[in-house]
Amino acid sequence: MTRFDINRLIVWLALLLSLSARAEPLTVNKEVDMRQALDDIALAAANHELVMVKMQPIDTALAKRGFENPHIRILFIGSESAVRWAEVVEPRLLNLLPLRLTLIQREGRMTVMSDDFEPWLREFPADPAHRMIEAWQAELKAMLDDFVRQ
Amino acid sequence: MTKRIPYFLLVLFLFALARMAPAAEPEPMLLTASAQGRNMEQAVAALGQAIVAHNYTFVRQQAIDSRLVPYAREVRSVRLVYFCNFAKMDRVLRLDPRATQLMPCRVTLVETPSGVDLIAVNPAWVSQNVPALHGECQELKNDYLAILEEASL
Repeated sequence: MTRFDINRLIVWLALLLSLSARAEPLTVNKEVDMRQALDDIALAAANHELVMVKMQPIDTALAKRGFENPHIRILFIGSESAVRWAEVVEPRLLNLLPLRLTLIQREGRMTVMSDDFEPWLREFPADPAHRMIEAWQAELKAMLDDFVRQ
Repeated sequence: MTKRIPYFLLVLFLFALARMAPAAEPEPMLLTASAQGRNMEQAVAALGQAIVAHNYTFVRQQAIDSRLVPYAREVRSVRLVYFCNFAKMDRVLRLDPRATQLMPCRVTLVETPSGVDLIAVNPAWVSQNVPALHGECQELKNDYLAILEEASL
């Protein structure tokens, strides 16, 4: 095998690995504690006409039962328009609502992560469902960007 | 040393191919069951019993548009029932924090003219992009199937 062949193989490998890379959830980071993060997310959500539906304190729930505190909480946020749209156009998408955010606290940094929309986009390749999922994803991204700027 | 490079590249190539290979059996997105002849209240009660019988803890139930509209305007025909098993929750979170996508467990109940449909997102479908969770998610899927079956009897 010549050096040229090896270089070509490396290029193909890089291409294959990039093709095999999976989509990741939306993720942002910010140096705040849990309480401040919740306040900032509530504000960012309101700016984007989203409502915090429920906060699931799985950190305290697990710690209270003797498990290690994972320093993770789950937030559900939504909008009435998203629910009404899904009810009428694609009820299976109700299973994605309300949208979920995961807050992970690690050494003074807060990571906020959405669910992975990629399987949903793959499952619904045609419009209007595909476009709607993309719209929810974009809305969530705008909200998370706003959260980082707070 | 240089002779080893092609072998190393070959291994990498096979690894890349393996990652791209589709799963042998594609998982359905949803797990469903139908509780014929029941109303929403009866279906929620039966689901609650099935949840407890399978060693899970009931967390809450709510309308699909809870907190998005005033209580009086909430849709009565679609309800969400949340539940969890704390030991399983602890275990999957140690594997990958993206396990929160499965938390808490949820069944969506939809009232139909003939009864109530019970619908859950298949955990094994969700874990397609998170290989570390796939084994746990297969077990979770089996739990869901058992709960749905019992709740719809």
